[in-house]
Amino acid sequence: MIRGLLILMLFQGLGELISTGFALSIPGPVIGMVCLLAVLLVKKEVNPDLATVSAAFSQHLGLLFVPAAVGVVSFLPVLNTYGWAVALILLISVAITITVTALVLRLLP
Amino acid sequence: MNDLQEIWVYLSGLPLFSLVLTLLAYEIGLRLHLWSGRQPLVNPVAIAILIVLAVLVVAEMPYEVYFEGAQFIHFLLGTATVALAVPIAQGWPLLKGRIPVLLLAMLAGGTVSIASASILGLLLGLPDALLLPLVAKSVTAPIAMGIVDGTGISPTLTAIYAVLTGILGAISVRYLLDAIGMRNWADRGFALGIAAHGIGTSRAFSVHPDAGAFASIAMGLHGIAGAILIPPLLPWLRGLLV
Repeated sequence: MIRGLLILMLFQGLGELISTGFALSIPGPVIGMVCLLAVLLVKKEVNPDLATVSAAFSQHLGLLFVPAAVGVVSFLPVLNTYGWAVALILLISVAITITVTALVLRLLP
Repeated sequence: MNDLQEIWVYLSGLPLFSLVLTLLAYEIGLRLHLWSGRQPLVNPVAIAILIVLAVLVVAEMPYEVYFEGAQFIHFLLGTATVALAVPIAQGWPLLKGRIPVLLLAMLAGGTVSIASASILGLLLGLPDALLLPLVAKSVTAPIAMGIVDGTGISPTLTAIYAVLTGILGAISVRYLLDAIGMRNWADRGFALGIAAHGIGTSRAFSVHPDAGAFASIAMGLHGIAGAILIPPLLPWLRGLLV
């Protein structure tokens, strides 16, 4: 488990270095992710320890954005007025997104 | 009574309090989610957010004090983002010759996601603070929050929109794809992963392993594309919307 976590954090650090070093608008962790993906595709195998840690992260990704999401307290007054509009927009938009993505997959070979 | 108060003041000042509260709230959310038979509407993250909110209100604890402790969990968002590379690498052999088509579907879905939400937001007269976070709502939350970092767009609303989008997508997907007659599990999963990221992906895994594998690949690829394409487009989008 430690080894997997270490690999992830090293790539995270590498991504942050590249992102700030070259003043890129792409977030450091995403660059780290792309670098790790490149390495994994070249190696054609995933370290089992890395696979375990990554699976745990994927499974509980939602836990990690609870602290930021709780900040919604400061938006409660404005959401009181616009909450339903926001929910409606998100519902229609996600429905369109699913449908369009699926249609492209269906129509192209 | 005074002693109790002193103990409370001491405990609530520790990072431990926020950490335990967050983990406990999420654990309760997970239990309820499993107990409901993994109903998308009974979402563990939404439940955790509501529980933490309720506790903060009752305990009269300012958000800043809570976040001071909870930031240790928040920090791991970056690490979790890097971990998204693994399911893409594991699923890569499944993609075979379909990569161009999948990328095209992703670009179409991503564009439609931003366009439809922005247009509807303008039509319904959302204030700017609520309108702008819509641009990243179909990108997985850890990456979406990275994209808006330093742009003045609220990471909080970005996360909230992402969660709601995930829940709504996971609930509606079956009816939409049945209506257009799509039966292929891989393609169904891919469409859900593009539109409804993490929550959609876990829904896809609970329905069929192929759907889950393609959903997690879709979520990862959409995250990369969003992180590369959205920041340069942001000034332009902001000009259109505000």
